[in-house]
Amino acid sequence: MVSDTPAIPKAGRGTVRSVFRRRQNTPYLFISPFYILFVTFFFGPTLFALFLSFQRWNSVGDPEFMGLGNYERLLTDRIFLQALENTLIYSAASLLIVCPLALLLALALNSKLLWFKTFWRSVYFAPVVTSTVAISLTFLTLYNREFGLLNALLAAVGLEPVDWLGNRDTVKIAIIGVIVWRWTGLTSIYFLAGLQTIPQDLYEAASIDGANVWDRFWNVTIPQLRPVMLFVSVIVTIGSLQIFDEPQVLTGGGPANASISIVQYLHSRGIGDLRYGYASAIGTVLFVLIFILSLVQLGIFRSRDEEA
Amino acid sequence: MATLKLVSLFGRISLNLVVAVGGIITALPFLWMLSSSFKTTGEIFRFPPSLIPDTIALDNYAQLFTGYPFAAWYGNSLNIALLVTVSVLFFCSLAGFGFAKFRFAGKRSLFLVLLGSTMIPFQIILIPLFIFVSRLGWTNNHISLVVPFMAPAIGIFLMRQFITSIPNELIEAARVDGASDFRIYWQLIIPLVVPGLATLAIITFLGTWNNFLWPLTVLRREDILTLPVGMALMLTGVQAGSEPPFGPAMAASVLVSFPIIVVFVFVQRYYIAGLTVGAVKS
Repeated sequence: MVSDTPAIPKAGRGTVRSVFRRRQNTPYLFISPFYILFVTFFFGPTLFALFLSFQRWNSVGDPEFMGLGNYERLLTDRIFLQALENTLIYSAASLLIVCPLALLLALALNSKLLWFKTFWRSVYFAPVVTSTVAISLTFLTLYNREFGLLNALLAAVGLEPVDWLGNRDTVKIAIIGVIVWRWTGLTSIYFLAGLQTIPQDLYEAASIDGANVWDRFWNVTIPQLRPVMLFVSVIVTIGSLQIFDEPQVLTGGGPANASISIVQYLHSRGIGDLRYGYASAIGTVLFVLIFILSLVQLGIFRSRDEEA
Repeated sequence: MATLKLVSLFGRISLNLVVAVGGIITALPFLWMLSSSFKTTGEIFRFPPSLIPDTIALDNYAQLFTGYPFAAWYGNSLNIALLVTVSVLFFCSLAGFGFAKFRFAGKRSLFLVLLGSTMIPFQIILIPLFIFVSRLGWTNNHISLVVPFMAPAIGIFLMRQFITSIPNELIEAARVDGASDFRIYWQLIIPLVVPGLATLAIITFLGTWNNFLWPLTVLRREDILTLPVGMALMLTGVQAGSEPPFGPAMAASVLVSFPIIVVFVFVQRYYIAGLTVGAVKS
């Protein structure tokens, strides 16, 4: 049934009934696969995760209710707190390094002054489509203390070699390096799309008013990009809070949990140790964290809009 | 005027220079990956390393196929990614058609559920989904990597966007000619949304091909692993004391990423169109 036409056709009684039945059922039939799969594999398990987070259950026997016990334990679990801290550091680095860098990259890739535009776009977007495991394996050898390229570059300028992944102080920097390398291109795609929707006459009007490049950037580009900036900051935050692949392959979370992420800890507690209740509580905390941070960002952007 | 031209030329050159330096930094790991895959074991452990290998040794590639079930991993990944992609294209376009061109009771609420479902991060259901899949006896079975992911909300949303723009008159005309709703979907809608399907196919294929966490969770038997899980196992599964097989791992990385990158160069615009549907619309 096309949405613009009235629901009841003006035909004879018999046809009305058959058409009616068909029109009633087909849209539901068409959209049903999603709802069946969603309820079975996503919504059901989400509720079950919430239920499990209040239980003690190690896969054998029956779950045993323990109220907020799992959540209380999390507050004093030093590995969890370490994982939380690490993950928030990854998130902050992504927001503070990746986002501005991606905006600059998008401006450059959008510039009429750039030569070989298509070529450079392909280069910068290549990390986006590459397997994170392949990337992490490659950086594992790049960062290697004995034969890695990074230490060779340091040696070339007379610096001492660094044990990037084996040292508590440098391991997070190393992982942030991979995040920045991989996410800047992806994030710039969003900015690039946003830049291309800015009406050209806004710039022309600003130029007529005597605005220079810098004025146009602050007074046209940035305000026009605000919705995209909100979208990007939410996407980057959510993505970085869920980080797993890079620290898992590069360090396994080490040394001494210095690089472990929340999802890694969830995975090792739930799948490794089969502590389903505890791991579900970690998952719930992650969900709440993602939810709150998204709302905060929404709030920041909304209040700025009201000021303007 | 002449100085102004000089300044703008200087600006242009610096812009190109900065982009080139960033581009080289971005490309460097790929070059390192490629070059290491051709090095002999002795050359890999040499310091300082060189970006250009002494010889093009194919030992690492050979070892990948003799020492590991690499061909099986490749086949598994390809099979799963294709299966998921075909299912997603079918179910998402069908549901997208349902939401774009039909009127029915509860449509608004059902659509809200669809949008809300994208808020659930996969990690929160990792444990319960694993328990559920184990109860079904689906661990160590590729079915657990396909069935739950056959109709993602984001794909339905994307297809709805594309199908909404098809004029209603076309559908009316087909209906007057007596075509059934499914026939209208199959013979009228599908041919008109090929660009949308291409976008969805690329996003889905890439996501499935590169997925690590879920296959790592449900697959244990070595011969049924997907590429990312198998590759990670090559280095992390090494016993303490023995030297990790960096060469074969780099060869595997080349074989998993370079075909994708080459194809991507040609289909970039579809991928970008898909990624940015949400960004620009919101």
